[in-house]
Amino acid sequence: MTEPMVSIDNVGKRFGAKAALTDVSARVEAGDVIGILGKNGAGKTTLFEVMLGLSPPSAGSVTIFGEDCLSLSNSVKSRIGFVPQQDELLGMVTGAQQLAITAAFHRSWDGPLIERLLADWAVPTKQRIQTMSVGERQKLSVLTALGHHPDLLVLDEPVASLDPIARRQFLAQLFDASEGQKRAVLFSSHIVSDIERAATKIWIVKDGRLYWQGDTDALKESVVRLHVRSSKPLPQNLAIANALTLQVQGGYATAAVAQWGPAARDDIASRLHADVEVEPLGLEEIFIELHK
Amino acid sequence: MFVLKPLSGVPIYRQIVDQVTRLIAGGQLAAGTELPSVRELALQHSVNPMTISKAYALLEANGLLERQRGKPMRVAARRRNQAALAERLQQVEHKIEELVHAARQLEISKKDLTGLLDRKWEDGDD
Repeated sequence: MTEPMVSIDNVGKRFGAKAALTDVSARVEAGDVIGILGKNGAGKTTLFEVMLGLSPPSAGSVTIFGEDCLSLSNSVKSRIGFVPQQDELLGMVTGAQQLAITAAFHRSWDGPLIERLLADWAVPTKQRIQTMSVGERQKLSVLTALGHHPDLLVLDEPVASLDPIARRQFLAQLFDASEGQKRAVLFSSHIVSDIERAATKIWIVKDGRLYWQGDTDALKESVVRLHVRSSKPLPQNLAIANALTLQVQGGYATAAVAQWGPAARDDIASRLHADVEVEPLGLEEIFIELHK
Repeated sequence: MFVLKPLSGVPIYRQIVDQVTRLIAGGQLAAGTELPSVRELALQHSVNPMTISKAYALLEANGLLERQRGKPMRVAARRRNQAALAERLQQVEHKIEELVHAARQLEISKKDLTGLLDRKWEDGDD
């Protein structure tokens, strides 16, 4: 139980002179639903590829279910489901044919589940994939990774082209896939609200580094925006511990602060003889503050 | 039953804990009332069932909810006005902070504000 599903240890990845990943270490435990946030080009896709052994790391190592990610046995591979950002569907076949081909690669395949999801998600089965819309392809691509009930499900931008209703359906399926604390899901998305709803943990990738990792709730509770109001002008070089950003205008200052605790509020209030209002921040705001 | 705002800065589990605590303290949720199941709430609000479980577990630890075998959680039987005064005061503290803050911005005196509070309190007694 204490053995992590995935162990990423000091992983680096270089493409020529460019460092795509630098010293990334993290664990995936059974029961985790991890949402991965990062700007375009931050290294999320590279992290997935290196983690799953699709691209060798330049430094460090990754262990999945106890095996090195570069030499995974078939039995471990069959416990993984991966939805890449660019789907790998065959263009000339129909949706039903694609799923039959995928099913043939797996010893166990939950046909009834996939039949049900095909109907619920309104994925065309008789149409050639190359004539499908981007959203339909995306749904089909997710289905190809669900049928064998993977213990580790990894999805790179799975919902970028889905409408809000389809995204809710996807989230419901994701909860099913992580039920029972036996399995884990990792997914990256720019749709921060989906991560907020679904993820129990968050990784923020910034410039190829794992800039923040931890519980979603802990992140929300530890990053806040302060509004400091004083009857006297506040100094421009106002000292606020763990401030990410600070703006001072006369007697009013606003600061985004990390590692926030209630004690800090009293400290600031008494030190500056000021009113301190604490504004809790949603994930999107936190993401933006952490990138300023 | 709950107003959940996943995008708010207040973590979802915290929103549930606060609301259930308030509803019980205020008597809207009577002892014995069954709460929606984890799965039901998770589907309804499209949030991770683990988040709901976390909230329920915390409420159980606080003695507000009790687990029943094979059935939904229910509001624990307790003395009337169960929560300690300090606990109930904590529920409104944040709102009072906001109120004081707004009053100061509007340059309303403490006397005028408490006067208004007194009048509103009397209105509520009718």
